[in-house]
Amino acid sequence: MHFAPPVSKDRIISKFPKCYNPQACIQMKDDWNMKAKVACQDRAARLQGYDRLKMSKAVVVGDLNVGKTCLINRFCKDVFERDYKATIGVDFEIERFEMSGLPYSLQIWDTAGQEKFKCIASAYYRGAQVIITVFDMADIKTLEHTQQWLSEALKENEPNSCFVFLVGTKRDLLSAEECQRTERDAIQIAAEMNAEFWSVSSKTGENISEFFFRVAALAFEDAILNDLETGNSTAQIGDGNILNDKALENSAGKANEELLLLINLAFK
Amino acid sequence: MGDRQDSSPMQAFDKDALDLTVEDVYDISYVIGRDLLKVNTGAREFSDLQFKIVRVLEMFEMMVNKYNLSLEELRMERDNLKSELERVASEESNVTSHNNHQNIGPNKLIVDLKDPNRPRFTMQELKEVLQERNQLKAQLLVAQEELQLYKSGVLGSEQNMVEVNLENPSPSEPPPRIPSENNKEKSTIQKL
Repeated sequence: MHFAPPVSKDRIISKFPKCYNPQACIQMKDDWNMKAKVACQDRAARLQGYDRLKMSKAVVVGDLNVGKTCLINRFCKDVFERDYKATIGVDFEIERFEMSGLPYSLQIWDTAGQEKFKCIASAYYRGAQVIITVFDMADIKTLEHTQQWLSEALKENEPNSCFVFLVGTKRDLLSAEECQRTERDAIQIAAEMNAEFWSVSSKTGENISEFFFRVAALAFEDAILNDLETGNSTAQIGDGNILNDKALENSAGKANEELLLLINLAFK
Repeated sequence: MGDRQDSSPMQAFDKDALDLTVEDVYDISYVIGRDLLKVNTGAREFSDLQFKIVRVLEMFEMMVNKYNLSLEELRMERDNLKSELERVASEESNVTSHNNHQNIGPNKLIVDLKDPNRPRFTMQELKEVLQERNQLKAQLLVAQEELQLYKSGVLGSEQNMVEVNLENPSPSEPPPRIPSENNKEKSTIQKL
């Protein structure tokens, strides 16, 4: 019984995605963690019902006009808007994947870069598994500010609970030489941040999917491993009688409830 | 010049000392020189006296000149200071009237109430609107997924009764479909 709608073909990830540059990389391995792989196979075989299984939260932060919204829109909607339009406070997208045979969702929270919205946006930092700090490769000042953005996002989360990514956007605006130079600087900062570096262009789409696949894969694997550690098998949710009266009422599944809950939590 | 030599040089002697100009000094010198010529004895004492008188007149000329220049300078300075004072005073009054009017302290913002684009909503209101927007968006996503499930026929395909309903939709009679869809939804959930 497959309750969840089929994941679109270009969101099926079976091979472990590679990093962009081994010099600034969170995990060097070429394949899924063995334990996670076994757990996935086990669960994929037993997978039943309305079981979205896992949802992770990623927050995207960085200076205004570095292209946070464009980055997300290119991946989630495959569009590119050249004109700058400030994000009001916060926005989100949800991408559904099939990871190693299991359904998986990534909430991508797009935050405003403008100072005046910071007090709103920062309320959404907590509970993130992934922090994506974005800078404009054509504006080196925005790279300098990434550490500040990161520390603000980390402040709202448990120590060592987040994967950190440093993403340079607009690489299409730079010559090969400039690009190399900026990447070298960024890799250095990424090392200081314990972050994985990516260099992308939302305009051309270069490295966009690769980047988000990497984000999703790392967050997914981490979630599976966390589950194994706590002995909290999410597959049981699908097996058992998961839908309580409230769920019956709104006919929303576990994952959707979770989503609504998360959105509400962000304001408490 | 001629007039002056005939009629006016003597007037210089009637003037207030502080009103004297160098021209008056020259008039006085002229008169004294003329009178001296009349009494010239040709004696050595006379020429000594004449020399002293000329010297005193020269000093007199210098003093009057200097006095008048200083006077002029002081007048100009006074005028400058006056206009400066007026400027500062008007600035001061502008600032104070501003303060009295708006009562603006540090970290305050002046808002033009006629500007339709003026800031007018509070951060709390914006937070609430955003929260509501996010909830609606989440609900929309849920609804879209469910719609997709219905469209693709995945939802309820495990159940024969629902399958029948899905396979035999009657486009000409939409109302009967509504209860059947409700049934389908319930039964699927019950099955779970």
